[in-house]
Amino acid sequence: MEPDLLLLGVMLTGVTLYALLGGADFGGGVWEFNTALRAPEKERALIYRAIGPVWEANHVWLIFVLVGLFAGFPSAFAAICRALWVPLLLALTGIVFRGVGFAFRSYAADSVREKALWGAVFAFASTAAPFFLGAAAGAILHGRLDVTSDGGFEGDYLTGWVSSLSVFSAFFGVGICAYLAAAFMTREARLAGDAPLIKVWRLRAMASGLWMGVLSALGIGLIAADVPHLWEGFKTRAWPLIAGSAVAGCFSLWALWRSRFTGAALGAAATVASVVVGAGVALYPDLVPPAISIESARAPREVLWALVACVIAGVGVLTPSMILLFRLFKGKKPEDA
Amino acid sequence: MEPLLAARLQMALTLGFHIIFACFGMGLPILLLVAEGRYLKTGDPEWKALARRWSKAFAVLFAVGAVSGTVLSFELGLLWPRFMGTFGPVIGLPFSLEAIAFFVEAIFAGIYLYGWDRLSPRAHWLSGFPIAIAGLASAVFVVTANAWMNCPQGFTLRGGKVIAAEPVSAMLNPASGPQVVHMVLAAGLVCGFGVASIYAAARLRGNDSPRVRRAMMLGLAMGALCAPLQAVSGDWAARTVARTQPVKFAALEGQFKTEAGAPLRIGGLPDPETETTRYAIEIPGGLSWLAHGDAGKVVEGLDRVSRADRPPVVVVHLAFQLMIGAGLFLLAIAFWTGGSLIVRRKIPATRPFLWLVVLAGPLAVIGLEAGWIVTEVGRQPWIVQGVMRTREAVTDAPGIGWAFAAALFIYATLTTGTLVALRHLARK
Repeated sequence: MEPDLLLLGVMLTGVTLYALLGGADFGGGVWEFNTALRAPEKERALIYRAIGPVWEANHVWLIFVLVGLFAGFPSAFAAICRALWVPLLLALTGIVFRGVGFAFRSYAADSVREKALWGAVFAFASTAAPFFLGAAAGAILHGRLDVTSDGGFEGDYLTGWVSSLSVFSAFFGVGICAYLAAAFMTREARLAGDAPLIKVWRLRAMASGLWMGVLSALGIGLIAADVPHLWEGFKTRAWPLIAGSAVAGCFSLWALWRSRFTGAALGAAATVASVVVGAGVALYPDLVPPAISIESARAPREVLWALVACVIAGVGVLTPSMILLFRLFKGKKPEDA
Repeated sequence: MEPLLAARLQMALTLGFHIIFACFGMGLPILLLVAEGRYLKTGDPEWKALARRWSKAFAVLFAVGAVSGTVLSFELGLLWPRFMGTFGPVIGLPFSLEAIAFFVEAIFAGIYLYGWDRLSPRAHWLSGFPIAIAGLASAVFVVTANAWMNCPQGFTLRGGKVIAAEPVSAMLNPASGPQVVHMVLAAGLVCGFGVASIYAAARLRGNDSPRVRRAMMLGLAMGALCAPLQAVSGDWAARTVARTQPVKFAALEGQFKTEAGAPLRIGGLPDPETETTRYAIEIPGGLSWLAHGDAGKVVEGLDRVSRADRPPVVVVHLAFQLMIGAGLFLLAIAFWTGGSLIVRRKIPATRPFLWLVVLAGPLAVIGLEAGWIVTEVGRQPWIVQGVMRTREAVTDAPGIGWAFAAALFIYATLTTGTLVALRHLARK
């Protein structure tokens, strides 16, 4: 096995977990934003309680992938940082305000007005972050960034990232978060034993699931029409994953219909994971098309092996820690206090 | 504004902000462990109340530290794409290790902060250890990456591309040891004296409850233990700089001329035009002795390199003096505390002493920032000492000035928000 592929496999896993876990955390804020911040306090409290213990850990996946990229594929990182200057700065602003909005609201807000202010910041930023991260991902996938093989950029810094797929992916990114959050929240509401909230989240999960199904079909049409290299990748390699995503999506809707919420949450996760992995597989062997491929960007072998070794050591430490975290806060134990 | 200057200011702002939170992120878990450990041992609910209160402050500081750290990891590429595009692989290993340490920290922060009622008291206390250990490990790893920028090694460049690298050797560069120790101790000073300062202020306002006294004692203990060690590590760091970065060393001492028996300057204002440092108290031969252990030895001056290759000596020298001054002040408090403990078996509680402790918090932060300025501005005009210039590394992207303006606004908001949050927690 080549170290660059091993590392990329790890990074793709990281991206997927970030989309699933970090995405669901963003999704909580997206729903607050979508309900124009008029959600009843009880509904909000459940969102905050679901996010509270895990959002910091879920956020680290992003750092993990970022570090893998600059250590393992430096010219790709340099090119992305130049070409996606605008969307990444905006996403970063969203990430900052999501985090502090959440922390200040949870721990520090004195008055109702302060709570409302930081809650609004949290909701807005939770929507902005996946929007611009989605746009950035779409711009890379579209393959029209004027990057050079050594990591330079010759396009327009302000508008070079805008394309049909980047705009689509921005909305798709937000949609993914909303869908995941709703599907996961049905289970949280069930664990909390709150019948009205179960009803609300079940409806939202089904509506957003259907809507994402329609959006995905549109997205496949868009890629077929406008993004030939990715379409080629879908046709030749990634189609089983896309088909799998459709199946998992249908399963999660069925599970929601039957009020089987653990199944629904797992189904939604599988749906999104297949799309993310599918996009990565379709992109292979490019990293930032057209100019930067895995081969042109990879670091010297000894570096890649060092990173792989570091990841293996990390998995040994992180897996049990992660299991402990999720068992404690996402297990079936009834909520106390 | 010139793009290079805007980018440097933005990096300085965001790093200078993050570094304070990182220090509390390292130090507070240790204080928490001590306080909660006392509770487990004595069963005194006051200790638990203190730990719970600090854990909320930790939650806020950790959240702000985490997001401001995220900003930095992006900014490395957004502002300095040439630097990361070239040397990312060489310093990727410490960053990867840091990412894993940060992961552990974030996971156990979640467990610790939300697990008060879900874990047995003992298990909860134990869940704090990974936070403290991983916090220290994060600092160790990330500082080795910065040390590498000061003492680059372990790579082969050809045509502007790294074609071979030894990541472990890069991590273990000569600057890593002293820089890591100096940074970790600085975190202890900032967190320890920061906490002590807040509670000393409370005592001056008349709140002399046992909880307040204990809280001040713990903070003071941490700071007072670190202060003398910091003096030793500072000497180690300075001698390493003298050996590995003679130009930086000359800048921080205001030494323009290469000379034997160079004097140690206390204070003083360097004048780059006339190449002299005026108004300083000079101890003859002192600098030669400090740098090389022999008052007669030659110390290299800034005249060894052309003016274009010198750092802004005024900023560096003044920041260095400021750092030393702050350090000595903290050392004096440490000795006062220690002396009183030995002679009278108690921590002093007189008003003048409390006032000094109140001042110690801000001074520790000033010393921290000044020290960071010394190492970063002292390396200019290089981003990687002797290998890549900062000017070459900066991005061509337009609107860096605007990004900096936005960053100023955002960080002002974060600062206000954090201060309001902490004040609210203190009152509750």
